[in-house]
Amino acid sequence: MGFFGRYVRQTAEMNAQRGTLNIMLETEVQSLDPQVATDGTSFEVIADYTDGLMQMDADGAAVPAIAETYDISEDGKTYTFHLRDAKWSNGEAVTAADFVFGWQRAVDPATASEYSYMLSDIGQVVNAAEIIAGEKSVTDLGVTAVDDKTLEVQLNVPVSYFLSLMYFPTFYPVNEAFYNTCKDTFSTSPDTVLSNGAFKLTDYQPAATAFTLEKNPDYYDAGKIALDGLAYQVIKDSQQALMSYQTGALDMTLLNGEQVDQVKDDPEFTSVGAGYLWYISPNIGSVPELANENLRKAITFALDRDAITGDVLKDGSAPCYTVVPPQFATGPDGSDFSADQTKFAEFCAYDADKAKEYYEQAKSELGKDSFTFNMVVDADDAPQKVAQVVKEQLETTLAGFTLNLTVEPKKQRVQDMQDGNFEIGLTRWGPDYADPMTYLGMGVTGNSNNYGLWSDADYDAIIDECTTGDLCTDPEGRWAALYEAEQIVLEQAVIFPLYGQCNAEMVSSAVTGVAFHPVALNRVYKNAAKSE
Amino acid sequence: MKKYTLKRILTSLFTLLAILLVLFILMQLMPGSPFNDEKLTPDMRAALYAKYGLDQPIYIQFFRYVGNMLRGDLGVSYNISKNTPISQLIQSRLPISIQVGGMAVTLGAIAGLVLGILAALKRDTVVDSIATIISVIGVSVPSYVFALALSYTFGFKFRWFPMLFSAKDIFGSSVLPSISLSMFTMASIARFTRSEMIEVLDSDYMLLAESKGISGPALIFRHALRNALIPIITVLAPLIVDLMTGSLVVEKIFAIPGVGSLLVTAIQSNDYNVVIGLSFIYSAMYIGIMLVVDLLYGIIDPRIRLAKGDD
Repeated sequence: MGFFGRYVRQTAEMNAQRGTLNIMLETEVQSLDPQVATDGTSFEVIADYTDGLMQMDADGAAVPAIAETYDISEDGKTYTFHLRDAKWSNGEAVTAADFVFGWQRAVDPATASEYSYMLSDIGQVVNAAEIIAGEKSVTDLGVTAVDDKTLEVQLNVPVSYFLSLMYFPTFYPVNEAFYNTCKDTFSTSPDTVLSNGAFKLTDYQPAATAFTLEKNPDYYDAGKIALDGLAYQVIKDSQQALMSYQTGALDMTLLNGEQVDQVKDDPEFTSVGAGYLWYISPNIGSVPELANENLRKAITFALDRDAITGDVLKDGSAPCYTVVPPQFATGPDGSDFSADQTKFAEFCAYDADKAKEYYEQAKSELGKDSFTFNMVVDADDAPQKVAQVVKEQLETTLAGFTLNLTVEPKKQRVQDMQDGNFEIGLTRWGPDYADPMTYLGMGVTGNSNNYGLWSDADYDAIIDECTTGDLCTDPEGRWAALYEAEQIVLEQAVIFPLYGQCNAEMVSSAVTGVAFHPVALNRVYKNAAKSE
Repeated sequence: MKKYTLKRILTSLFTLLAILLVLFILMQLMPGSPFNDEKLTPDMRAALYAKYGLDQPIYIQFFRYVGNMLRGDLGVSYNISKNTPISQLIQSRLPISIQVGGMAVTLGAIAGLVLGILAALKRDTVVDSIATIISVIGVSVPSYVFALALSYTFGFKFRWFPMLFSAKDIFGSSVLPSISLSMFTMASIARFTRSEMIEVLDSDYMLLAESKGISGPALIFRHALRNALIPIITVLAPLIVDLMTGSLVVEKIFAIPGVGSLLVTAIQSNDYNVVIGLSFIYSAMYIGIMLVVDLLYGIIDPRIRLAKGDD
């Protein structure tokens, strides 16, 4: 037993590592370079060891981090951030110049940052769009280090959610001198990253399946960090992940839909909003029948969202009757933009009679008795199940309606929809920033994510007013206008919203204070603690 | 022999170049793009294509790739580990696959030989039947079933071994995956050893050896097994490459950071350089092992060596 005993003991020792949070990841980190990373996993880890100007509080609101205070000019176009005394892990001070360098990297065509549009289209930083297009030099970017502690940002138009962009990793600082010592190897190992955040990287290599961080003693807020460190483990098999959790090797793990049934009564089970809206997009621009509004209305009224989430998904995902899913965008009065899910329910909530009524109208307008469409669906578990139910619901309620399903790998499905090579598509969208525009902007004529090629001049005008027009300076007016835009989409049944995706997680009862967010940084551990 | 070896090496190099070309063409036929995030605008995607030279005609990409490869540069990953050189990814992952695969092959080959020899010597007895049953199970049950069963029993229930791979305890955490992977090798080797041994044992030269008074282990190992080994090595060679280049499912179950899982993720996300780099190394290892096997034949069977010597 001596040989086995060694491993028994080792496992026990590993479990007993107090103060280190053992976290399961589904996928490897794609990049730790803040201006190159695009996925949620990478963002989470980068934010573990890097602070931006602002950070997210438990409710997702932007609160000061490296910026101790900030001023916003009266016209809303100049932001001045006053930096606190913070240090990089090599002992150097975090300065305004570090932010200037980071932001310039983000728009530099040589970096080819996939999220450069966060500075241009979304953030409206002066000259960002021109620099990305190669028309101006990076030094023309509207961000200036007035002195070591003062950063000034110029915007083209007032952006009401600008502060909430500051916790997005694309806007994180990079120390230029340090970067120049690493160049191509920047952010690929503990030696080639600098930390100014709550933790620092102790063990990492590209595409690592296990890596660790420890508490950063030089963090400006180190006194508030209760954890000793974080240990990440990539596990792609969800059953193994759950078993590892049950042995105590993990403190947090993600579940798949089937496992939820096993553990749903466990007090450690929790369901957290993932921010994604799953919806069906009809190809209005190229399929003549789907250009008929009554047919689209018939479809949306025939969809029973409760059955999809309650009988099929069962992971806490909630039916959604809005274009902007709830729980990520808060308005000028501090309330959730989509908290009221009944607001537009009259345009889309399940109603078989209404569905049949619109269907009859559509049939007579189109002079057809039956319809056959093809829906493209991701070859993943949940979307396939959802598509099956959607097919059944539509074919049952609407006589003569046939929905065929084409299951393909997600990358192929996305490409088909982007190319307009589909009739109906089941797709999803996650928010990039805490404003309804991250969803409503997609409906604009010609937007690359307006898969259905829908176009409405009134809608475009409203969105324009809210993005670069007068409403930018009128938060309440803008908020009201965004509701108007949302109503147009739902009233015309441009898309059929289905549900807001939730992630089912197990979180050990010994763990407290992990903040879950549906946007930008999905999990934040600054206030987390682990008891015995 | 020299001329023959040289010819074999040249053929191998040419085969590798042809494989590379085929891989390049296959990449073009793969649906999707390495930059398939739905958030990317067409402009942004074009900028990324330009950055990585993917906007160039395929023959230019091919020659550039071959040129870079000769300088030891296999390009960088486009999305699964953005901008990481492929050589670095392979350096960190291949040794782990080789280590786990190596343990599995060693275990499987030894156990298979023992089982096969026993079955042949005790032909048509209970031992033979048991060996046959084990072989059939080993060949027909997929390795991930063993992996799940072992992981559940010895990892989860008894907790003798770690359920997941750990860099802190590479040997211990490789035990369960190695056993899972070795089952197929063990069963195949056992079956081949048994039938080869039976054939050899029945042959005239064995009768001659026996009549010369040779008996016991000397008879079995020096005369019987040595002759039976040639076909076994032929079977073993591809198994070695298979195991050393990683097994997707077993790697997934035990969270082993090997190349098998890397290759599948890369294919799913159109990470061309990773797919080409790994497939190329896989091919090179395969061809290399085949070359070694050919040379081994000569060592084990002097008739082959002498025949080639006539060239």
